[in-house]
Amino acid sequence: MKYLPLIVANLSRNKLRSALTGGAIMLAVVLVCLLMTMPEGLNAILEHAANNTRISVHNKAGMVYPMPYSFTRKVRQVEGVAAVVSHTWFGGAYEEAGRVTFPNFAVEPEDIGAVYPDYPVAPEQLAEFQRYRDGAIVGRQTMHKYGWKIGDRVTLRSTVWPVNLDFRIVGEIANGMAPQFWFNREYLDQALKAQGRPGLGIAGMIWVRAADPNRVNAIMREIDDLSRNSDAETACETEKSFFANFFGSLKGFVTIILIVTALVALCIVFIAANTASMGVRERAGEIAVLKAIGFGRRVIFGTLLTEAATLSALAGGCGVLVAIGLTRVLREFAGWSETLGPLSNFIVTAPVIVDGLFLSLFVGMLAGIVPSWGAARKPVVQSLHEVF
Amino acid sequence: MQAPPPSATTPLIVIRHVSRRYVRGVDEVHALEDVSLSVPTGHFVAFMGPSGSGKSTLLNLVSGIDRPDAGDVFVVGQKLNDLSEDELAAWRARHVGLIFQFFNLIPVLDARDNVALPLLLTHLDKTERRRRAETALRIVGLAERFDHYPRTLSGGEQQRVAIARAIVTDPDLIVADEPTGDLDARNAEAILSLLRQLKHDFGKTVVMVTHDPRALRFVDDAYHLDKGLLLEGEDAERASAAIHLAAGGGMMSAAARVGQ
Repeated sequence: MKYLPLIVANLSRNKLRSALTGGAIMLAVVLVCLLMTMPEGLNAILEHAANNTRISVHNKAGMVYPMPYSFTRKVRQVEGVAAVVSHTWFGGAYEEAGRVTFPNFAVEPEDIGAVYPDYPVAPEQLAEFQRYRDGAIVGRQTMHKYGWKIGDRVTLRSTVWPVNLDFRIVGEIANGMAPQFWFNREYLDQALKAQGRPGLGIAGMIWVRAADPNRVNAIMREIDDLSRNSDAETACETEKSFFANFFGSLKGFVTIILIVTALVALCIVFIAANTASMGVRERAGEIAVLKAIGFGRRVIFGTLLTEAATLSALAGGCGVLVAIGLTRVLREFAGWSETLGPLSNFIVTAPVIVDGLFLSLFVGMLAGIVPSWGAARKPVVQSLHEVF
Repeated sequence: MQAPPPSATTPLIVIRHVSRRYVRGVDEVHALEDVSLSVPTGHFVAFMGPSGSGKSTLLNLVSGIDRPDAGDVFVVGQKLNDLSEDELAAWRARHVGLIFQFFNLIPVLDARDNVALPLLLTHLDKTERRRRAETALRIVGLAERFDHYPRTLSGGEQQRVAIARAIVTDPDLIVADEPTGDLDARNAEAILSLLRQLKHDFGKTVVMVTHDPRALRFVDDAYHLDKGLLLEGEDAERASAAIHLAAGGGMMSAAARVGQ
């Protein structure tokens, strides 16, 4: 503690340089803290989006492989299943866009509401969906994107099936984050048959809602058992697991960002080390005198290292505060708009704060260790010869 | 600071057959060759000689900054040859006060904190460290400059602060390397006078390296070195006479200038 005034005085020696070095470290800590909120934030988004009673059933070989549509009936018979709806990828491109820009599926209108009771779709719109063979329910995100409104007619050109279908929008999923487009499965089936084709005998995916969350695992086992040794064995998973796998690539992206951040942090170490080296070089005369008047190697090393670590830790503390502030601002923004809602899930938690502070201290120590040791280990007579 | 001991005749510094060589590039430089001398406690002595004579090397050996290749160095009863770098640092902190030509104060610390620096290595608390630093500054005549930073002090005042830093631990030996080398004539005289005062009033042993012929008027003994050898007998007298002549010549030319 008694060396603290000396350390503080040395830190204030070149205020601009200390500020710039501290700023670089602070920026790195802000970046790292924000990125470290991402895994937890994504998990929170998944927890929020996923329902604990919904189960996804798809072909074990992969989601691009279909299952026989008849399997849907078998799934309905499983004990504890409250509702079942199939999803078959239409791959419809909106004429204006010319390519697939939102997910569109053929579903059973009479079952969709029972499988997704938590989705904000008005009951009368669900009734309309059942009433019109060409009816469609569209997520608000896509509605906004194309300026559609209920009652509009739109045409989708399938990139999977040899048909173009005209739809009447009868309902909306009132969630700004919802992009999906649901339409009547029978409509596609009949369109295919009209062309002399065998009709829609397959289902791309089946979504199941369990009556009891405690029965979810048993239901998944039973469904997979039903398809065992068939041509299309199934793989069941919870909705959360399904989303997690679906966003797997995003996690990979986060990993890459974390790697890049680590490299940035390493660059900051080099910058801070260079600054520390410059500081030591500039004060070579003073350090030589301190050694001459009796400051031992440990004291010299300790004070120089503490100096680097103090600057870094202070900058790290500021960085953590800025990160906390930024996430709070994001949360405020999230309250303004439904689309920005997920931003509220990115929170600088206590472990992130500890990691950020630890990182800054580590950067300071690592940056300071080489120049400090270099200055300390040099014999005093050599230090004096070099400067006088 | 303690008063001088009643009988201060025992040698504080004993140097026996000391040699020191350096390797500079491919050449080996014989900085000191078989030098022996002793300095009694409470004496003020100067090591004099031209550049490269080995006087600074001798000063480094006496102050425990360097170690000899051959021979023995005893200071305050301690044989310095066998001490490690860290042990020498601790020994210097206890027994030696150092003064340099270019003052070498820490620019971001005020005079008081600069003087108190060596006390950081002791177990004294902050209040006591400040008290002792202020006492040392009063001794060197800077009672009004406690809070001044080096940049606001003149060269002579900075050297006084450096002297205060050297005496603040009440060391047995004060070592000064060209203490007047960066000062004008008036300040140089004042610093030499102050060093002599430390010897007289506090019984300190002061060893100084200098080119300054004026120093001969202040010291008890002067040791003359040339090419790593300690001059003795007629050689030493010739060197001393040459320095006196240089000092006289300087004064005569100054007097001539005044006359004109």
